[in-house]
Amino acid sequence: MAMKVELPQKGFNFENFQRNAVLADKGYKAPKVTKTGTTICGCLYKDGLVLGADTRATEGPIVADKNCEKIHYLAPNMYCCGAGTAADCDHTTHLIESKLELHRLQTGRPSRVSTALTMLKQMLFRYQGQIGCALVLGGFDVNGPHLYTIYPHGSTDKLPYVTMGSGSLAAMAVFESRWRKDMEREEAAELVKDAISAGIFNDLGSGSNVDVCIITADGVDYRRGYDKPNQRGVKEQSYKFAKGTTAILTEDIRQFVDVVEGDAMDIS
Amino acid sequence: MPITHEYQSASPVKAPVEHRFSPYTDNGGTALAVAGEDFCVVAGDTRQSEGYHINSRYQPKVFQLSNGSVLATGGMYADAVTLVKRLEQRLEWYYHQHEKKMSVDALAQMLSVILYHKRFFPYYVWNTLGGIDGNGKGCVFSYDPVGNYEKHHWNCTGSAGHLIQPFLDNQIGFKHMQGIQRRFLTPEEVVRIVKDSFTSATERDIYTGDYVEIFIVTAGGIDVQRVPLKRD
Amino acid sequence: MFLTRSEYDRGVNTFSPEGRLFQVEYAIEAIKLGSTAVGIQTSEGVVLAVEKRVTSSLLEPSSIEKILEIDAHLGCAMSGLTADSRTMIDHARVEAQNHWFTYNEKIKVESVTQAVCDLALRFGEGAEGEESIMSRPFGVALLIAGVDEKGPQLFHADPSGTFMRYDAKAIGSGSEGAQGELQEHYNKSLTLKEAEVLALRVLKQVMEEKLNATNVQLATVTAEKGFRIHNEEETAAVITQLA
Repeated sequence: MAMKVELPQKGFNFENFQRNAVLADKGYKAPKVTKTGTTICGCLYKDGLVLGADTRATEGPIVADKNCEKIHYLAPNMYCCGAGTAADCDHTTHLIESKLELHRLQTGRPSRVSTALTMLKQMLFRYQGQIGCALVLGGFDVNGPHLYTIYPHGSTDKLPYVTMGSGSLAAMAVFESRWRKDMEREEAAELVKDAISAGIFNDLGSGSNVDVCIITADGVDYRRGYDKPNQRGVKEQSYKFAKGTTAILTEDIRQFVDVVEGDAMDIS
Repeated sequence: MPITHEYQSASPVKAPVEHRFSPYTDNGGTALAVAGEDFCVVAGDTRQSEGYHINSRYQPKVFQLSNGSVLATGGMYADAVTLVKRLEQRLEWYYHQHEKKMSVDALAQMLSVILYHKRFFPYYVWNTLGGIDGNGKGCVFSYDPVGNYEKHHWNCTGSAGHLIQPFLDNQIGFKHMQGIQRRFLTPEEVVRIVKDSFTSATERDIYTGDYVEIFIVTAGGIDVQRVPLKRD
Repeated sequence: MFLTRSEYDRGVNTFSPEGRLFQVEYAIEAIKLGSTAVGIQTSEGVVLAVEKRVTSSLLEPSSIEKILEIDAHLGCAMSGLTADSRTMIDHARVEAQNHWFTYNEKIKVESVTQAVCDLALRFGEGAEGEESIMSRPFGVALLIAGVDEKGPQLFHADPSGTFMRYDAKAIGSGSEGAQGELQEHYNKSLTLKEAEVLALRVLKQVMEEKLNATNVQLATVTAEKGFRIHNEEETAAVITQLA
């Protein structure tokens, strides 16, 4: 007797793709997310590596945050700069931070950069670019300093100097002209600062301050606000309003407690 | 036997293809004008941009016209330049034909007519016109790209227009305040407010920055100030 | 001058060897056959007055229109081939409306006169590839009166396309005598009322018929009321002051 068995189909299931396409056709738009124009970068030097980021977060043409943090902590020896969808960058790095912590507890060894890289790229690939993260990953482990870029679809590069975000071309121009092998620590920090500055001044999606993070075998030197080339000037005049400028529409004073004279406090 | 999926018969994924010619671009920037009792202040930043790119840090889009008025433009710079050329030509024709300088009110109407003549292929420009009218009073006119216009006492357009306009409503028009003595501001007071408007807009609008150029129009002539803004 | 007909008096755009355009000169002569029209400018406004030739007792005098409105602040009196004036007045009205539409202001008296004269000059055969719109010069002269930012003004425009500003001007068959009268009695301090009386007095002297409220027409242009044609009663009231 022949039995008809429906076996699940092999491989990926793209049913939802078609559903979403139909929904989009009918005019049901996917919710819009906040994307951030950004300049992030990193470069290797003699004793380790330097990561850099600007601090502007945008919502379309508006600056949403003038001094946000884009260099995220992953592990004591590892940091990660994020560009793209703000929420995706925050949650992805936070999730990997958590997984790395568990991994260290399990293995009893410091995290390796390649571990974080693999976790990130596998996760981003699984989501087919739907998680809008463009990352610069840097860290120092038993194998020395490592610097990677990770694209939203999950592809990665390992290079001595890297840039990401809308200001990546401006920043890369600086690296291409001035990066050298085996630079000194402060020299590398200044180069990263200049690369980020190029993004800050020439890319409208990037702005405000330069954050820098230097990672070596000896530890991490996170320099928040390493350079602040865009301090607001003094305003021409004060805009404090005189008392009573705001209209009071109604006034209502309520008595919630009846105070009765003569009742002694109960101290028994 | 190959497994045929139900959805394979559905139309393949369509890659978006741009078929239409898109002649317009927005070059960003902010402009404003304030009419005083016997003067007018017109200002605009000088950053010209396209997307996230800065084309120029100093490309003024506020134009002094030959009849003594000042036109602040916004939107597409190429259209603005063409429009200003046409206006200058018309101002000159008028001068020769009628042996007098065109009044700001006449220019205001003419600009509207010129814009409406291109109703179905408009100049992609938001205009703000400032000057001194026939009675010696400051005046401001603002336009949409097809020539709808209105006379105001103050107006702000462009990428940071929605940031600055309510500030001007409050500081120039004394709106939303109680027990305040309304009065005409002096040119110096207006210029201070204009400077703070632009430095503040630069903080939050990515398309506003680099410099602000301020034109102070009085019966005696036009004074121009250039103030640096943040460049990020 | 008209005794010597020559081959040069045919083409409208051929100069005679003496440097004359006969057709234009003939057109100017045509005006001298027309009824007399007078214009007087004062500091209070401009007065226009015309004679109506009521050639038959069966003719309805009110149907003779020789003073017309161009715009609220502009009026016009004419003499000569009055049919030709339709084209000119239409042109002037369109020009005045276009100016208002484009600039939201009243057109100047001089500008509208210039526009009319530009039209009057287009009697030629037309430039290359361009059709000629007219076969001959206009046979009419206009007195254009108006008030603008320069105050009350009176202009005279003739078929040659020439215009000039006058304090007082007479055109038409009685113009020579009328102009002499105006010359004698005009002065800068004339009031509008005095100018109305003077205009009719001048007409009275040059008209063949006896002047009355139906065979003359009077109009004024002032800053306050703009262009106004006097009705018969108002005209009669001025006539009583002639004495």
